[in-house]
Formats: sequence, C-alpha cells, structure tokens
Amino acid sequence: MSAILSADDLNDFISPGVACIKPVETLPPKDTKNQEDAYEVTTEDKVQPEDLPPAQISLTDCLACSGCVTSAEAVLISLQSHAEVLNTLDAHPEIPLTHEPHGVGVNNTEDSKEGKIFVASVSPQVRASLATTYGISEKEAGYMIDQLLSGPQGLRGGGKHGNGFTWVVDTNAMREAVLVLTADEVSDSLNSGESSAMSQSDDSLPKRPILSSACPGWICYAEKTHPFILPHLSRLKSPQALSGTFLKTVLSKSLGVHPSRIWHLAVMPCFDKKLEASREELTDMSWRQGDSSGSESQPVRDVDCVITARELLSLASSRGSSLRDLPLQPLHSSFNPPFPEKTLDSFLSLKRSRAEQSLATGTSGGYLHHVLMTFQARNPGSELVVNRGRNVDVVEYVLMSPEGQPILKAARYYGFRNIQNLVRKLKPARVSRLPGAKPAVRPAAGRRQPMSRNAVSTGSSGSDYAYVEVMACPGGCTNGGGQIRVEDARETLGPSQGESLDASMKPSPHEQRAWLARVDEAYFSMDSESESELETQSQLLSLADKEAKIHERLRSWSEYMNIPLSKLVYTTYRKVESDVGKDQTPANDTSRVVELAGKIGGGW
Amino acid sequence: MSPKVTITHLSDLTPPSQERTWLTAPHPTLPLVATCSSDKTIRVYSLTNFTLLSTITGGHKRSVRTAAWKPHMTGESVLATGSFDATVGIWRRWDSYGQEGDAGMGMSSGDKQIPTDISTAASNGTGTDTADREEDEEEWRFAVLLDGHDSEVKSVSWSASGMLLATCSRDKSIWIWEDLDDGDNNFETVAVMQEHGGDVKCVSWHPSEECLASGSYDDTIRLWREDLDDWGQVACIKGHGGTVWFLDWEGEETEGNWSGPVADSVSESALSALQAQWRSQRALSGPRLLSCSDDRTVRVWRRQPKESQQTGPLSSATTGIPSIIRPTGTDEVWEEDAVLPRAHELPVYAVAWSKRTGLVASTGADGRIALYEERFVTREQEQEQQADSDAMDTTSGDVLRTEWVLVGVQDGAHGIYEINHVAWAKRADRRPGGEEEVLVSTADDGSVKVWTLTR
Repeated sequence: MSAILSADDLNDFISPGVACIKPVETLPPKDTKNQEDAYEVTTEDKVQPEDLPPAQISLTDCLACSGCVTSAEAVLISLQSHAEVLNTLDAHPEIPLTHEPHGVGVNNTEDSKEGKIFVASVSPQVRASLATTYGISEKEAGYMIDQLLSGPQGLRGGGKHGNGFTWVVDTNAMREAVLVLTADEVSDSLNSGESSAMSQSDDSLPKRPILSSACPGWICYAEKTHPFILPHLSRLKSPQALSGTFLKTVLSKSLGVHPSRIWHLAVMPCFDKKLEASREELTDMSWRQGDSSGSESQPVRDVDCVITARELLSLASSRGSSLRDLPLQPLHSSFNPPFPEKTLDSFLSLKRSRAEQSLATGTSGGYLHHVLMTFQARNPGSELVVNRGRNVDVVEYVLMSPEGQPILKAARYYGFRNIQNLVRKLKPARVSRLPGAKPAVRPAAGRRQPMSRNAVSTGSSGSDYAYVEVMACPGGCTNGGGQIRVEDARETLGPSQGESLDASMKPSPHEQRAWLARVDEAYFSMDSESESELETQSQLLSLADKEAKIHERLRSWSEYMNIPLSKLVYTTYRKVESDVGKDQTPANDTSRVVELAGKIGGGW
Repeated sequence: MSPKVTITHLSDLTPPSQERTWLTAPHPTLPLVATCSSDKTIRVYSLTNFTLLSTITGGHKRSVRTAAWKPHMTGESVLATGSFDATVGIWRRWDSYGQEGDAGMGMSSGDKQIPTDISTAASNGTGTDTADREEDEEEWRFAVLLDGHDSEVKSVSWSASGMLLATCSRDKSIWIWEDLDDGDNNFETVAVMQEHGGDVKCVSWHPSEECLASGSYDDTIRLWREDLDDWGQVACIKGHGGTVWFLDWEGEETEGNWSGPVADSVSESALSALQAQWRSQRALSGPRLLSCSDDRTVRVWRRQPKESQQTGPLSSATTGIPSIIRPTGTDEVWEEDAVLPRAHELPVYAVAWSKRTGLVASTGADGRIALYEERFVTREQEQEQQADSDAMDTTSGDVLRTEWVLVGVQDGAHGIYEINHVAWAKRADRRPGGEEEVLVSTADDGSVKVWTLTR
C-alpha cells in the first residue's frame, strides 16, 4: 500500500465529503473561482471573505448524525449557541410593551426601531433533563427555565440592557396540534383509495407508510442519503417549527412589528434542531402573503436560534446566575404578561393531561401513540397488539378489529441502526443494482421464514405500515444529543453530592442507562403531582372533543392571520446532493490524493 | 537468536493481477483463496495448482479492499467483499459449480469441518435444489449489496457462527449486520458503532464468542460486545504509537493440534506439564489478540481474568447508582502480554496467527515476512536473565512466563514491493495432504506468493 500512486489510484478514493453543498440560507456564498488552483497566490484581503468561522461543536455524541454532518452544518450549529443568545440580548433592547386592559401592545413612542421582542419555546424533554439533573419535578424545572429566561434573577439580572424573554411557551402546545393533524394525515392517506401505496392519485399526500418528520437528524439523513424516502415523510412541521410559525405570525400581526424584530429561541434536547431551524423552508417566506415588502427583504426564520439543555447550563453560568438558586415558583405576573391575542392565548396555555405523556406515548412526543389512539377510538372494540422488535427501539403495533382482522399496522423505529433496516425495506426494488451482476433469483415457494434470533416481522415488507414514528436517537428524544449527560450532571452538582468521584471518569453504559431511565421517568411524570382544574377538565374530554377543539383553534389562527392553514402547518423536503461516490477528483489533483492517503484516516 | 525456520518460495498464484492486490483470504475448508484487487475484481485461485479459477467482476466500482469467507457453509461458498466504493458485496457459489463429481474444488478427504457449538448453521443445505441450479448462469452469484457506509470499506469479518458480519470504514464507523439466512439474502443492521476517532482499518471476531476487535487510525484497539440489546465498547486498548493496521486472534485450543508454546532443553514430560499449566492459565483469560501497527511493532494483548479485575473505581459505592442495576461490569481490562521482537523497519500492515502451529507471521511496507514463535522461559533461563540484568521481577513467581522469538525472516519477499497481507492456509498441492501449512502473501505489484516453512 505504498503511497506511490498510479493514475488509477486517483479515482480509488471517494472524494471527501467535507464540503457541504447544502444550500442553506445563512451561509455566506462561497467564492468558487479562487478554488481552482490550490497553488494560486492569494492576498490577505482576497482570502478574508471566504474565511468561515471554524466549526466548534463536534457532534460525535449525536448518534444520529455524526455520519453526515458536514462542515457547513457545523458552522451553522456553532452560530446557534448560548453565546449567540447573550450577544443578541445585548445587541438589541427589548421593544417596550404597554400593558393595556385588552392585552399587550407596543409602546410606539419609546420604540427605537432597534429593539426586538424576545420569545422562547421549550421542549418537555429539556425540562425532564433539568429535573433529573437537579432532582426536582418536571414542573419545577419548567419554573426554573421561566425564571432564567424571563425572571429578574435570571438573564434580566445582567447584560447591557437587562433583557430577558417576554414570553416562554411550551412546545407541547403546538405538539398537540401536530398530533391531531398527523392523525388526519394518516387517515387521509388511508382513505385516498385502496390503491396500492405506490400509486396514489393525490400528490399532496405522502406515500404510505407515512414516516414521522419531527426528528431533524432523521430528516437530514433521509434528504442526503435516501431521497426515495422523501415522498413518505409527513408534511407536518415539527412542534418546534410550528411554535415558531405561530409565535412569529401572531405576534407580528397583533403587535404590528415585522417578524424580523421578533427573536425566537427554542430550547431543545437535540443539536440537530439547529439544522432544522436553518432550513429555508421554515422562514416567513413560506407563509407570508405577497405583501409589498416580502420580495425584497431577507427571509426571516421562524426559529432564530436553538440551544440545547446542556447549553442552557452554559447560558446560566455565563451570566453568572446559578440555576440552582433560582426560585422554583411561577414567575410573578409582571414578568409573565398575557399573550397579545386573547383568542390564541388559550392555544398556548393548553396543557397536556398526564395520560398523554406516559410510557405508552414514548419519549418523543407520542405521534404514533396518538395515531393509534385515534384509530382505536374510531373502531370500537378494536384491540391493539404490540410486538416488540429485535431491540427496545423497534416496536410494531397492529390494531385488530373485534373479528381479528388487522385494521392498521404501525411501528416505531428509533436509532440509526434500526432506521437502516426500515430504509432498506422501503427501498424501491431493482432488478440489479450492479451492472453485470445478476441477482440470485429464488422461487417464492422456496422462501423460508426468517431465522432472526429474536426479531418479529422481519418478513414484512415495511410498506404495509400506515405510519412509522422514526427518531434518530436510540431511546428517542429524551436521549437527545443535547441533553444533560450524567457526567455533566456530576460536574454541575459538584462535590456537594457527597461523592468523591472524579467527574471526568466516563460513566459506564449502565450508569448512562440508569440516568436515561430517570430522565424518562421525569418526562413521563409530567404534571403528575399537581393537577389543576383545567387538566382534570381536559381529561374528561373525549379524544374526538379534543380533536375538534384543536381544529377549532387552528381555524381561528388561520382566520386571524388570513392565511390558509396548509401554508402555516405544512412543510416540504428536498433531496440534498452529496458528492459521495461521484467522480469529482480533478485529473491534476495528485496532491490531493496524496494528502488523502497521508492524512484522512491514514490512507489505505 | 539466529532464525530457525527457513521460508521457501513454493509458487506464485498465476496469472497475477495487473494492479495492486490488497488481501488474500483462504477458504475455511476448500483449497482456494480469494484475492482482492485494485482492478475492482476478486480473483479466486486454487491452492492445489496455484492457478486462477475464476474472477468475480461487476460488483464494485472501486478497489476491492477486503474479503472474508462465511464459515460453516456446506455445499455453497459465501464471500463478503468490502470496497472503496463504500459498499459490501455478498457473493455465492455452489461448490459443485461446473464440475459435478470433480474432487478438485470439492472437499478433499483430509478436510474436516472446524468444530463448532453452533449446530444451526451446519444444516444450511440449500445447494441441492436443482431448480435453483438451473437458473444459475453465473458461477458467482451476486446476492446482495450492503450499503450504509459513507466512505471506503476497509475490512469485513464474519463471526464464528457466521450469523454476524462486521464491516468498518474510513467513516470511522463499524457496522454489524445479521445474515438473516432467510433464503432471500436479507441482512439487517444490528449495530453501528462510532466511537473510533479515525479511519477503522480492521475488524476481527473472537474465534468463538460474539466479541469483535477493531483497530484504527486513532491508534487504538477496541473491543465490542452486545450488552442487553445493543452493542457497546467493552475495552479500548491504547498502546500502539501509530495506526493499528491489522488484528488476529489466537486460535482456540480445539483447533488444530497446537498444544502451546515450546521450550528448549526440557524433557517431554516437563514440557507437557508446562503446556498444561499454560493452557489452564489461558482458559481464564481466553484467546489473546495480536496486533500490528504503523509504529513498526507487533504486540499481543491478554484479557485480565474477570475475577482479578479491580473493583475499586467501578463499584457501586462510588457511583451513587444503586447496586441492583449495577451489573457485574461489562468492561474488560486488556493488558499488553508481549511486544514481539522487532523485525520491521517500516509500518507493519498485516499479522497472522496460525491456528494450527501457534506461529505468528508479520509483513509490511519493508517487503519482509517475519516469523515468531512463543517459547517458555524456564526457571533456569529466568534466573540467568535475572542475574544478568539484576532486575527483580516480582511477578515471575509462579506465573508461567513465555517469550517470543524471531525464528524466520524473508527479505524482499515480493522484490521491491510492499506487502499488504499475509495469511496461513493449509497446504493442498501434495497428496495425501497433511496438516502442513503454507503462508500466502499479497503485494502491491499484484502478485500473490505461496511459501513453505522448513525447520
């Protein structure tokens, strides 16, 4: 394996996929003309504009994406950090708000036009992570975050302007809407004729099986490596994205400020949510009606910045505020103004009943669970049969009619390894993927049952599922890459826990598993210790009533904005070209191959 | 120590590839080998007459870097190939293809199956279906292409049972696939491990357990086992000062007739006593692992028996995690057993540990093949050594000590060319075939050479 290369060796390596060509809207346009000759002498000022900030966050801990995260994505991610939050808070004063009897308004006399309105949305998994770290309840963790982002002892206690977040909402509110719309989407797809899943007449509906699309790691992977998956993806925005659209649309309209003056932070369990936030599909371009300013102005993201649970700790500590010392109580009403649009205020305050965040719903939002519950409710007497797959992250569900006929098949696939098997099942059949190679054709009669050691349903084609909930992380979103890890928690809590343990010691898989189990428990225990009247009330509502209520709210949102609902809640996906496997090595690029052989993984 | 084994050139495999060859995998039972070439093909040669039997083409778009035969197949041979095109190909061939009744390719009478506990795999007698056979126009049937890796596949390895296939790549990941053996060539991804910090150069399964070893550009060797229902790292061995290019396991005791290290100037009974003691010692730690590296060294690693692992840092008292869920501990401690005598001046690309004789062969960029033998250090020698060096080795009390001795060297085995791989195979060119072994070396110039050893 000598480094003496022949001409043929030049094509032997796959050109490195480090340069991302994903057209992400925030990237400075790359000047390609300087790249033609690596040896061209460049002057300092010529180099400057394409000097991208170095990637700072390694995503190796995000199991989903370490295989496909590219340098440009790493840049994007480093641009959305806790430092970015602090910089933005310091760069812009808060738009002063007036508190009027009928709600909140912008105090135009004091508005300097420089100001922004700061809003945040927080995912329930983040609260579970904080709750586990500090040994508090999930509800208290919610107060902790509110106190940090909006309270006087939190971010407002420092910084140039003493800024904080005016509204902090729970992404669960919008998840509720996503769940209902997901069930609608699945039933529409099932009703769109008994024609085979492959030839559906209605282009606007996803192909069966519909695959959940809330996990950005999964979307990123599918767009880059498996474009044949894209027609299967649910068109619904994720709760993060929908929260963004909701906040930007309603706040900009009700307060009369441009969406670019509303700065929306999302606190998520997942690094890849940063990638989602940078999608050009998720900006005001997708929903703003053709008003005059629309065409010339820059697109404004629905979510401006995403930080993870772990970065929330950094955010607190870099402002010198200790999360532990924050009061675990609801914010005083002066820091918790009502939402400016009364009718939609109820949307955000909508709380989930405890039954809907349980072991059965899973750790990732309960999309599959909701679909199953909806169909079960519509088919009285039906029974749900659960088949555990080859590992804990694969579960298959069959809804059986009272006569024992399957009504609906659905599954949960979490984790990269299981996604591989799902994707392979959905891959369009080809006679031969290889020129000159003949597949071994076996008569169907000779086909034997799978002998997999503990798997179920390996024989099923996968396309007979109506819905599959797919998440890139094993264990789902509570185990997101941005969650506080057991070693972070040790460090955060310090020696006061009475453990003479070296915090740097890597926890064993069992400790990690135990930690994750505690996070799950906190997640499932949401709202369990204090049940307000409102919750009790909502628990009494039947599934159908709740559905109707949410449809009603969505309709009023659409009417208020005068924007069709489909423009607000749906999104699209696109194939991302990858250079892997393509012949991009220029013929004169011997030096690059030598460099490859020498540097990238030591060559051969 | 003067070399005691002469390495003699027996034959070239002809015709050679016109391009670089990477690795030659001897078939587990049949007298044939598969050679991976930069020309995107796999060349199957006979070890009986050293000629090319067939060429597998059309599957890969780039260099074929690696190949491995699925064990325990009867009537049919299954080959996994890994390529720089980031894919893994699975190929099948009826052993009786094209030569019904001809013993040349079939199992010769002297051959025997490698003993195994797994009985399921042996019952896989699909080769008798005549309807299938009529459909097969090609000798090598392309069964399935496993894709998933992002970049060049560097190594593939079948587990001892043949149910699991491990693959590794420059994308720093290791994938474990289960061969569902469902007659439809379906494989499922069982695990994707991404802990390595660099290009993963090689994977190698434990000779009997479901334990995988991997070596990487990050200079580490890692060991992986299934824990509950996911695969995880159980050990990370740091010791090499450069890329770990290749790994091989010590044979299990049941394989071949090798009974352990040898010793000079001791009686036969004394030797067998030593060997018995040595074997019982080894039963505790299991087969050792052999590695070679860019740092020019060849090393042997031994697992610390579980009982003697220190419980200190891992005990439940220090972690605060309730002891109920605290298992016996999956982590394994691997320690350096030996650094073999230095025989290479340039990176060592491959090592092979003979399952039949216990001899170790190494080769690499310096074009040299080196042979090593493990010997007992007898008490007299030990005392001599201690007297010489005046060193007080407190551990040498009742622990059996061995040393590795360089017993043979072949310089410039392929002329000026670097040698990429070396493997042990059963000699098949003479009848009746005994248990004699040959070495098969594979080089940059496309040549594959077969060597015999004489003492």
